[in-house]
Amino acid sequence: MIDGLLVGSVYGLAAMGLSLIWGVMNVINLTHGAMIALGMFGMYVLFGAITGHPYVLLLPEIGVGLLLGVVVYWVAIHWVIGRPMLMSLLSTFAVNMIIIGIGTAVWTTSPYNVNFNLPGLTVGSYTFTGNHIAAAVAALILALALDLFLRRTRPGKAIRAVSDHREAAELMGISSTTVLSIAFGIGIAMAIASGALVATLFPFTILSGGTYQLKSFVVTVLAGLGKPLGALVAGVLLGLLEGAVTPFMAASWIPLIEFTLFVVVLVAFPRGIFGKVAA
Amino acid sequence: MAPVLQIEKIESGYGEVQVLWGISLEVEAGKLTTIVGANGAGKTTTLRTAMGSVRPWHGRIFLEGEEVTRLSAHAKAGRGLVLVPEGRQLFPTLSVEENLEMGGYSTRARKRQRANLERVYELFPRLKERRKQRSSTLSGGEQQMLAMGRGLMQEPVVLMIDELSLGLAPVLTQQLFLTLKSLRGQGITIVLVEQNVHLALALSDYTYVLAEGRVTIQGESRQVAQMDEVRRAYLGL
Repeated sequence: MIDGLLVGSVYGLAAMGLSLIWGVMNVINLTHGAMIALGMFGMYVLFGAITGHPYVLLLPEIGVGLLLGVVVYWVAIHWVIGRPMLMSLLSTFAVNMIIIGIGTAVWTTSPYNVNFNLPGLTVGSYTFTGNHIAAAVAALILALALDLFLRRTRPGKAIRAVSDHREAAELMGISSTTVLSIAFGIGIAMAIASGALVATLFPFTILSGGTYQLKSFVVTVLAGLGKPLGALVAGVLLGLLEGAVTPFMAASWIPLIEFTLFVVVLVAFPRGIFGKVAA
Repeated sequence: MAPVLQIEKIESGYGEVQVLWGISLEVEAGKLTTIVGANGAGKTTTLRTAMGSVRPWHGRIFLEGEEVTRLSAHAKAGRGLVLVPEGRQLFPTLSVEENLEMGGYSTRARKRQRANLERVYELFPRLKERRKQRSSTLSGGEQQMLAMGRGLMQEPVVLMIDELSLGLAPVLTQQLFLTLKSLRGQGITIVLVEQNVHLALALSDYTYVLAEGRVTIQGESRQVAQMDEVRRAYLGL
């Protein structure tokens, strides 16, 4: 149960990236899962090569994620923004396939893991895995940092302004394409960071990202679009749900339950449970 | 003296539809210039083309003597060409103060952001009272004040205002016009598109009358107001 809460905060972090991109540029980023997988393998490669502390390795991963996001924006997103959503779905799906394809060629689809264990924390008869606690803390810090960035800093406000009214932002002297590419980069960096954290928790393959992408969708819909902090909370809720369900039934039931929830929320709260009735 | 903003034989439109058919305007420093005309005459499109929100098909645009025809809207905004757009176009999820901060976004405007914020709050005390509120919660008049304030935060070389009085109560309109007058008195160059022709002519120094995407009449506002065709067509006299 508590473990679900810890893992859930990592889901939340992944979903924040999806939610940010979706909310700001109205693009459903189907590269999300591939980026999460890249984050996992990034952690694997870096950890193998430098044997640094995994949580320090997050920083270069985030940096690479930002850059990669900006590049992907200019290659695949810039041309389809403002056009029918199918266009960006197709182009991000194509990038997704390219990344998965390259990843499969390099790492095949066999499972990998990052061999690293922090000492656990025992409370009474209960032991929490050290990695889970550390991942949750890291996810929380990143999530709060993103929220603070969006609410308090000048570039963060510019992202919100472009999201609110792109043409008016241009009138203010804000280069909206630059801002969008940075926002996309941040979204990707979040995905990669969450992948890197997941890699310290579970074994993974190049295809694992897909599962987390689906979870991110559920979380984003739960939270309502463009509400990064809401996404974090919804991610934790989803993790809690998983933690509560697994003692009673096989883990393979989880997707069924999650997507039933997904449909129910869509029907009952089309704007997400944290969404306001009137925007 | 050379005009601050010069528009030369601009043609533009939307998609296949041409709206402007060779419009030329000259805006002199420190003057209040108005553009009036019937609905669909191309007033808003003129401002949007000058700004770069709509790309000109033909013609040239100069700002402070430099050609800026091909620059994007954000680049022109960075040089001090400011448009307070029709329908305010505020950032609804940002607070009043954040909206004003966005006005001070460009490198030019940033240097004087503090002083400008003070000035805007002095001009519109109501905005100061509500600075923590989301801009979507403001009344129509307050929103127009915020749109103007945001424009002033941009350190305008030329301040272009589209439909200042649209949807506002007469008292508020009067008040905003007085504000404009005092701004002009402080030496700010203003271009005003206005449907209230009476007020526009009474207040401004120079007037352009647009019809069907062309300039049909231009001149000192005092003289334009005396013209028979203007009195008949626009003033209902």
